[in-house]
Amino acid sequence: MFDNIISGFTSILAVGPILGIIAGVVIGITFGAIPGISAIMAIAIILPMTFYVDPIIGITMLLAVYKAGIYGGSISAILINTPGAAASFLTAQDGHALTKAGKAGKALDMSLFASVSGEMLATLVLILVAAPFSLISLQAGPIEKVFLLLFAFTVIGSMAGESIPRGLLSCCLGMLFAMVGMSSITGAARFTFGYTELMGGFTFTPMLIGILVMPEVFNVIRKRKIPHQEMMITHSPNPADNRISFKEFRSVFSTILKSSGIGTFIGALPGLGSSTAAFIAYGEAKRTSKKPKEYGKGSVEGIAAAESANNAVCGSSMIPMLTLSIPGDDVAALLMGAFLIHGLTPGPMIFFEHTETIYAIFAGFLITDLFLLGIARSGFKFFVKMASLRRYYIFPCVTVFAFTGAFTAGQNMDDILVLIAFTVMGYGMRLVGLNPAVFIIGFILTPFLEQNLDQAMSIVGTDYHLFFASPFSWVFIALSVFFVFSSMRMKQKSASAPLQGKAA
Amino acid sequence: MKNLNKTLATLTAAVTVTFASGAVLAAYPEKPINVIVPWGAGGDSDLTTRIWADAVEKELGVPVVVINKTGGGGVVGTSFVARAKNDGYTLINAGLSNMLVTPNFSNTPYNFDTFTPVVKYTSVPLAIVVAKDSPYKTFDDFITGAKSKRVTQGSWGASSSGTIMANIIANQAGYTTKYVHAKSAADSMVSVVGGHIDSALSFPPAFGPHVKADRARALVINQKMDAFPGVPTFADYGIKGSFGGWSGLFAPKGVPQEVIDKLTAATAKAMKDPKVLAAYQNIGALVDFRHGPEWVSDLEETYKIYTDEAARVSKK
Repeated sequence: MFDNIISGFTSILAVGPILGIIAGVVIGITFGAIPGISAIMAIAIILPMTFYVDPIIGITMLLAVYKAGIYGGSISAILINTPGAAASFLTAQDGHALTKAGKAGKALDMSLFASVSGEMLATLVLILVAAPFSLISLQAGPIEKVFLLLFAFTVIGSMAGESIPRGLLSCCLGMLFAMVGMSSITGAARFTFGYTELMGGFTFTPMLIGILVMPEVFNVIRKRKIPHQEMMITHSPNPADNRISFKEFRSVFSTILKSSGIGTFIGALPGLGSSTAAFIAYGEAKRTSKKPKEYGKGSVEGIAAAESANNAVCGSSMIPMLTLSIPGDDVAALLMGAFLIHGLTPGPMIFFEHTETIYAIFAGFLITDLFLLGIARSGFKFFVKMASLRRYYIFPCVTVFAFTGAFTAGQNMDDILVLIAFTVMGYGMRLVGLNPAVFIIGFILTPFLEQNLDQAMSIVGTDYHLFFASPFSWVFIALSVFFVFSSMRMKQKSASAPLQGKAA
Repeated sequence: MKNLNKTLATLTAAVTVTFASGAVLAAYPEKPINVIVPWGAGGDSDLTTRIWADAVEKELGVPVVVINKTGGGGVVGTSFVARAKNDGYTLINAGLSNMLVTPNFSNTPYNFDTFTPVVKYTSVPLAIVVAKDSPYKTFDDFITGAKSKRVTQGSWGASSSGTIMANIIANQAGYTTKYVHAKSAADSMVSVVGGHIDSALSFPPAFGPHVKADRARALVINQKMDAFPGVPTFADYGIKGSFGGWSGLFAPKGVPQEVIDKLTAATAKAMKDPKVLAAYQNIGALVDFRHGPEWVSDLEETYKIYTDEAARVSKK
């Protein structure tokens, strides 16, 4: 495995991949810092641009956008108290308090150091765990995979947000749309209504951009009356307030380590996601802290805990995606789509079929962390300026990117129609409270479920007991039951703690 | 030697035709040629076509652009070309599946007669493969086994080329199998090696690595291959027909003869380039350069076998 890692580094340390990483980091921080654009939207916008390059460059660039985007969210959270993602909610509390006290520089530094440490640790775990784990999951045949996918679908319960029925409905819609086109099993045309163009089903990229990105543009138009908030890094006359000293970093280092560990673990479990990780790590840090009273009122330690945990999720959520092809959260689902478009099917075989590519991507992961540190540290002012651009400059650009992206993916005018149709649908889904991310998961997983279920049925024939003959099946059945119960319990808990429920 | 003669003849013919028609027509090609591959980038059809496009580009003097228009089991891209102008600037990567099988077994807006065959550059023989520890040592064992009990066989779709070829074979040998459809022949191989299915239909690029690593055994193959010397052919067992995938180029019907001749001549030259041959060998494709009336009538004959099979299946 170590020679694989080394060969990964040799293929990533070339002009192309490094330029891709730099571009990804810059784009990610900028988009992440713009209020109203989340990391997942940034990835969706950038995705079509990666089609023209080698998968190694394309995928590492997307992952750089992802990591930098999650980090970028903390900039606007700290400076103007608008957490881009739920995960930055806690960072906003402590960070904005520090900004008001004139210590914005300190908060930004802390969040950067914590983010990078969290990501580094999670990436190391990913590299060490993924390949051995995939050897185990390789034993799974079609029958076991059916149960594995069943388990993957239970993830939706915990991702669905406030209403499980709405989450399930969103997922079913995704499954329904995944059925459109020629069945890969029987060759029959389904839901095409006589249009040959629909034989191939809905194209992923335009659909994705339509569902995830464009409705946000309409949201911004709807909220255009809300005044623009200028972002400023407040400067304190005391230089110690503008940065994190080594001593301060050392004092929170154990918190960072512990929170990264929590984030890594939570990220590896499908369906919990970065906000859960941030909340648990923050709670744990507060519980064991010497100064728990400071939390929520400008605690550097609090920022360290929340940011390292939520960034650790970036690396470890790749573990179930790559080894079992279960996307643990919405971003992982999107990245899974990106892997598929680049001809890499996530799953245990990826470590054998694309050894070189996958280890190059891993190496790219580690290098991205270093670039993120360097670029963000030297360019705070630039990113703040970019993110403070007026919305009427930013969102028209986003629209242009969305349309060109949808078109360039297949150079097909029909894809523009797909984009427009799904923009309308995505906006409608938001209005009635359906979850677009869950829709995407349903869309991505359904073909796998269908294929494996069909294979399993052919293998089993009439001996239905074979479905339950393997210990793997039982493991995944047990996990599914456990997840359904635990997410139901979490829902009950969050009902009694409304604030936390809303943010998580 | 026979091939060389044929090529020379074509070349001469092409040159003559060019001279004869050059005066009247603007010389083809005068702008980039688009070749639509109805499958994803990186697959067999895509790779064989890209190698071809790179090779003929120099000969033709214009860019040859390969565009992947995927979906619907190849129907989307193929229908697109069926509707395209027949000026020779839009061509389709033709193969067993989108030209011979799908039009017979699915409802497509085109059929074999919508196109004019131009050239075929490669072929890839079908084989039946089992895992190393399988009880079936020979194809005879397999036939006996499949006659007496339920044997699963990996394929890639109920009306896919794989299943239909396998049905024609099984029908002649008098056995039946239960098909297990995976996304590709390569995915089926994973199931065979993992012991989840009894056998699989496969092609050398998919089963080669597994056979070489002694994890799988090829029982029977469409034509002898140097890489797998001990494997008998379907013909050895008295099974009639040719079973395998191929990759070539069709143009929309009514394309000027000059276009076909130009493309054929350029291909003929490319197929002698050692670099091109090496590129095909690298991806595991057998170079099988064919063109002209004899090839077209062979294609028509094979097309009829599939039409008959479709009729037989729908009667059942």
